[in-house]
Amino acid sequence: MASGLVEKVSAFCRSPSRFLFGTSSEVFLAELLRELRDDRANYTVKVLLLSPLCEYPALLCPSDSVGEETALELMSIFTQSPPKFVQFRSQLLVALTCVLTCSSDVSGRLRAFPDFLDLLLQLAQDTSDLHGDAAPRSLRATACDCLREMEALYPGLLSQRLELLGGLRHQETSRLHQAYAGLQALVLRNAVYQLTQEKEAGAARLRALLGGNESVECEADQNAGPASGKDSAPLSSVILGPMGTVPTLHTGPDCKELRSALSSLLEESYLFTPLSQAALLYRLTEVVAMVPAIPPTIFRAQLLRLLGTSEVTLLHTTLLMKSAFTDSLFSSEDEAFLFKRLVVLSQHPLLSTPEKLFYMDCILHFPENRPISCGDSDEALPVLLTPRLASALLPVVFNDSATLLSRFNLLSLVYLEAGEEEDGRGLEYLYEHLTSLLRIVESGGRRENVVTFFRAAFLFLFHFHHVERYCDNLSQQLCQLYLQHTRFAPHLINLADRTQEKLPDSSWALGLLKALQRVISETPISQTTLPDLRWHLKVLTRAAEEGEISQHGTLRFLSGIIPPSSSSLSSSGDWRLGNGILGVCRRLLVHPSLESMFIPLADILQHVAGHYGDTDIRDHARLYYTLLTTLSREKLATVLAHHAEGGQQVKKRTLSCLMTEGEGLTSILTIHETEVAIIRLIEADCEQLEAEDLVQDEAERGEPVLETYRAQFSSAAFASQVTLKFLLTHTETRDARFDQLFSIRLHFSLTDDHYSELQDLSVPCLFRERPPPVVTLTLKPREPYPSSLHVSAIFTTQDGLTWHTTLPDIRVCFQQIFLPLPAPPSWGRAGRQAVFAGLWEEMSSETGECASSLFCCQLEEKALSALVEKHFLPFLVSDPSHKDEFRALLFLPPQSHVLLKISSEEDAVHFRLATDNWELLPHINDYLLKITAS
Amino acid sequence: MSLRALWIISHEKGEHASIRFSRRFATVELRAKRLSGSSYVAVPEDDCFLQLLLTELGLSGSKQAFVAQRDDCLYRPRSPALELHITAPVKGTLWPVLAISQAHLTLACLPLVDASPGQRPPLSSLLSESQGLSFLAGLQTFLLAPGSKQDGEGLVSRLALLPSVLLQVCPLGTPLELPLTGTLAMPSPITSAGIQKQPAWRTGLYRGRAVVNVSVVETVRSMQYGNRSRQDLWDVYGTVACKCEVEGVLPNVTVTLSLPPNGSPLQDILVHPCVTSLDSSVLTASSVEHWDGSAFSGPYKFPFSPPLEPFILCSYTSQVPVPPILGSYQLKEEESQLHVSVVLKLHESVKNSFEYCDAHLPFYNRDQMGVVEVKVSSGQLDVSKEKNLLVWALGQKFPKTREVTMEGKILFSGPEPGPSEPLCTGLTAYIKLYFKVPDTTLSGCSVDQHSVQVYSSAKPRIVTSRELHSKDYWIWNSTGTAPVSSGQMIV
Repeated sequence: MASGLVEKVSAFCRSPSRFLFGTSSEVFLAELLRELRDDRANYTVKVLLLSPLCEYPALLCPSDSVGEETALELMSIFTQSPPKFVQFRSQLLVALTCVLTCSSDVSGRLRAFPDFLDLLLQLAQDTSDLHGDAAPRSLRATACDCLREMEALYPGLLSQRLELLGGLRHQETSRLHQAYAGLQALVLRNAVYQLTQEKEAGAARLRALLGGNESVECEADQNAGPASGKDSAPLSSVILGPMGTVPTLHTGPDCKELRSALSSLLEESYLFTPLSQAALLYRLTEVVAMVPAIPPTIFRAQLLRLLGTSEVTLLHTTLLMKSAFTDSLFSSEDEAFLFKRLVVLSQHPLLSTPEKLFYMDCILHFPENRPISCGDSDEALPVLLTPRLASALLPVVFNDSATLLSRFNLLSLVYLEAGEEEDGRGLEYLYEHLTSLLRIVESGGRRENVVTFFRAAFLFLFHFHHVERYCDNLSQQLCQLYLQHTRFAPHLINLADRTQEKLPDSSWALGLLKALQRVISETPISQTTLPDLRWHLKVLTRAAEEGEISQHGTLRFLSGIIPPSSSSLSSSGDWRLGNGILGVCRRLLVHPSLESMFIPLADILQHVAGHYGDTDIRDHARLYYTLLTTLSREKLATVLAHHAEGGQQVKKRTLSCLMTEGEGLTSILTIHETEVAIIRLIEADCEQLEAEDLVQDEAERGEPVLETYRAQFSSAAFASQVTLKFLLTHTETRDARFDQLFSIRLHFSLTDDHYSELQDLSVPCLFRERPPPVVTLTLKPREPYPSSLHVSAIFTTQDGLTWHTTLPDIRVCFQQIFLPLPAPPSWGRAGRQAVFAGLWEEMSSETGECASSLFCCQLEEKALSALVEKHFLPFLVSDPSHKDEFRALLFLPPQSHVLLKISSEEDAVHFRLATDNWELLPHINDYLLKITAS
Repeated sequence: MSLRALWIISHEKGEHASIRFSRRFATVELRAKRLSGSSYVAVPEDDCFLQLLLTELGLSGSKQAFVAQRDDCLYRPRSPALELHITAPVKGTLWPVLAISQAHLTLACLPLVDASPGQRPPLSSLLSESQGLSFLAGLQTFLLAPGSKQDGEGLVSRLALLPSVLLQVCPLGTPLELPLTGTLAMPSPITSAGIQKQPAWRTGLYRGRAVVNVSVVETVRSMQYGNRSRQDLWDVYGTVACKCEVEGVLPNVTVTLSLPPNGSPLQDILVHPCVTSLDSSVLTASSVEHWDGSAFSGPYKFPFSPPLEPFILCSYTSQVPVPPILGSYQLKEEESQLHVSVVLKLHESVKNSFEYCDAHLPFYNRDQMGVVEVKVSSGQLDVSKEKNLLVWALGQKFPKTREVTMEGKILFSGPEPGPSEPLCTGLTAYIKLYFKVPDTTLSGCSVDQHSVQVYSSAKPRIVTSRELHSKDYWIWNSTGTAPVSSGQMIV
């Protein structure tokens, strides 16, 4: 039970939504609570069972009432659990805090809240654990943390308990004093903040809070205060807001109590772990910032220790103090020292990369005593960061990419600030550095190197796009790079896009695209591989988007690749390549200089429409050609416009943009599978094969008939096929989506090897309300046996989606393979009878594959005539009016015969059989049984 | 100062990524919701988070050459605070997601931004940022601590300990301390210690004879080009590691570092938070400005009250006038073979007594080595199994001349191509030196046994040691183009 529940808990925590899909939160919660209540259950397991309540209390207790019940339940579990299970009890306190705070909606607070608060306060004061079992984890510390969290959620909740908390901290000598201090500092900060929000609050109120000699007024306050339900939102940092918005509490110079509380906390701060120490110092910074009567120099004694620290969070606190107090705590020497320290730290060999990057960010946002720029949003370079100082942070190729880019950015800002444009060595260094990155990319750097290089290139352009010397050279180098590695096309296009977007005034991107277009159009086509060509077309497509770029080079390139003689590339009929070509053409159609390239473009389109190896591409080329030659420029622009809107989101498929560009087409290019059979093939009512009107007998033939007859088979195709007709209809399954189907392509697959492979068949359309189309299936038997065929179909629905479906199998029956004697058309009955006689004689000898047999059955004479009429008329060789003996010859392609002599004898009707393929006998037997039985 | 959620992810270069542990802090999430109002973006479920994080870290879809979302050239600071763009159920940006990686393990957390909604505050104004970084680094050390094999059961067992460790160090999303890395993951019982307050970072009381162990370890890095146009570079940094077993709640120990006369001052000193006070002159020297010769050069006094576990008391950098080993490396392409010539000189000020000294000469973007006709004046030469690396073991001592040479020809006629490296094409090649010299420091910095003061009743045992070792010690072929790596260009 418990182990199952543990698995459920981990499944829940992995993905609550998926878990609750299968069960409800009430069931799961009930299960958890039941197990938690169970005294026999293992307490280590119970700790785990609490985690869903700690992590997702609002999901498990979606309403106040459930939250209330759960909290009461957990409180009772807490009181009943043996004190020695400290870890469980601690976790239980955490869970209770989460349930009580998160399950209620914003407005109110649960009724169990005050009780729990009392419990926590009581636990926080209970020092008995010191003398008891000396557990590793003190319940007291957890209680303090729960109180601190509740105070953070409901600021002011504990402001009336400040004196108590101060006392507890003071008495505590074990390392738990840290927990009290953290709580006290937060409560103090919230209390001071609340006073700043009250009118007429001053030194007296502050003293009352700290000193505890609460006035009646305060008592009243306590009852109406936050604990009873009035809510206050969590506070954001008070020193983080824009300058000058720190709320202040005017106390006059007299605030000894506050000062002594602060001093005593500061004195002990050294005893705290760096994380808690930083948090404490930050809270105290906030308090001092709000109370002008306390001079910031109260922190002075701690500063030196903090400035020398190796702990990132402690130095950070120092910076935040600097930001809050500027020159009232830091002289300009201190400032310079702190700044230098930051530079040192951001490249210190012993610090981790994330720490160094963090310090780099601190440099860019250094809170200067006298900031020159006032824009506080963007990164502004501090005046203290001279090029000389910054040279310690020059990027090197051995840097990881984050560090490299961060340094590159910083140094760019520095050189920009220093006005290095023409012959600054710093700028030269940066460009050299960019070039060495390019070399690495060129000689086959990893993907990360490539991305880093392009980011660095973007940074360089972003800052120095006006320094033509370097930017032009960069364009050239990028073209070189592209020729060597065309696969960087998307990176280059991305770089062009971004520079254009971020630097609307710069023409660099235009220049790059122009240069790329030039190098592409100058490349000999014979040296271009298919992948190269695809990338080239991508780049050209992008270049064609620019109205200012002349497109003649592109046209030259396109005309170069399309004639099939020049290369095998376009004659291969590669659909993607074709789309690439059409993509360029499409952009050219809306290019402002279309007039001047009308004829070459028309030629290209016409050529593609006429000669390209893929039908789809030809069709589209024809469409573009028609659009180009028939529409006015304005109309053409409107028809093809939606891309110009720049929305990559535009996924609408219009007739004019059926192809390319990737993602939007996924669902269209995907073939969907139907769940059930939508359509089927049913046998068409066989129009009876008419008994041919035979040419009346001509004279006796001189030549031996059998030989003449057999000679016909020397041509392999002779009488080798059987034609079957089917109707293509919908199945009974009704689905409006499939009422109208188009371009149905039927695919047949064999289940045995009696027949040759079958060709696919196309049916233009199938509408439910129209008569079903007839499908003619031509079978070419290898052996004339019955068989069945698997059928599947691919079709398009009205919404443009393509589907694949499986049809019910179709059976090829034995009688469907029968053909009449394939005698030369000029022969009359006599010739046929002669063949019959000749064959009969041969077969009766039963040599080789030949066999003869007899089938008998009871039939009235009339019934027999009807049977012959119905089943054998096309195959009759004898005159149908000769009722005493019917002779029928069944020809089964490719070269089998079944000869029948049917006659009524005294006792029964005899079917005398002869065949040159004895393996057909069982099938014939089945067939005769079937037709005679009915 | 609080975290909304925490994740521990393991992966192999982006493949087979899985979340090994995650924790959401519901109350902090509630605060985030109330603080950010309408701009609130909820923490997504694990699967979704994992995908977004891997994409942002550039680790996803390693087979695709260009993925717009991952490879966009637009620069924005990505590390250490990432932006994750959530699309479902609601569009939004999760920021700042802190992530640190080591080997196959990535740790991430989402700190609470306790600013009023609206404009995004700079990263450096959020204390939760550095707290998150510290906390993640501490967790990383805990998870990958020595003794736990990186991929094996060590990690699994430490992950299993994590829920109880978090209850201790970060029960409700506010990190209070870092997990202890020792074998004993649980601190000793809480005890009252009389009048004196016990530091929160001192996890227990030591009883027994006082032992203080101080070791100074210096690391030297170098880039040598053997080229007039390019300045050779080297730097030295040192750490002073301590292990103090001393009785008392808040014992006092003082360690003093001293330099030889005329030694260049220790720079960029960083100290452990247990150091009680510092003289401002200790911190004045810095590597980023020019030393005017008048700077304070010791002795450096560090009074502190030690934690129980071993710790780094302080670290420093130093500018020494010469690199310990000066090298020259020359390659010449002669038809199909490569002519190699190497000279290594040990500076006279360095103690000629190594624990080891190896020179590695890798060759990239070539076939494997076939015939190696190379002579060395001292030491022993080996060809690696993969046949793309020469290992020159110089042993414990340089000869009396303090100079060793290597001369000869290598024919790259092996049957298979060797490894490739985009940095080392053509004649761009390097020697990497690995050495360790016991009982010496380049800066001359030392801790005298007698200068260690312990204020306790019994006489303490004091052990001090020094050593120097190399890291990133490169000597580039002077006939090829070495990659630019100057970190100290003079502007």
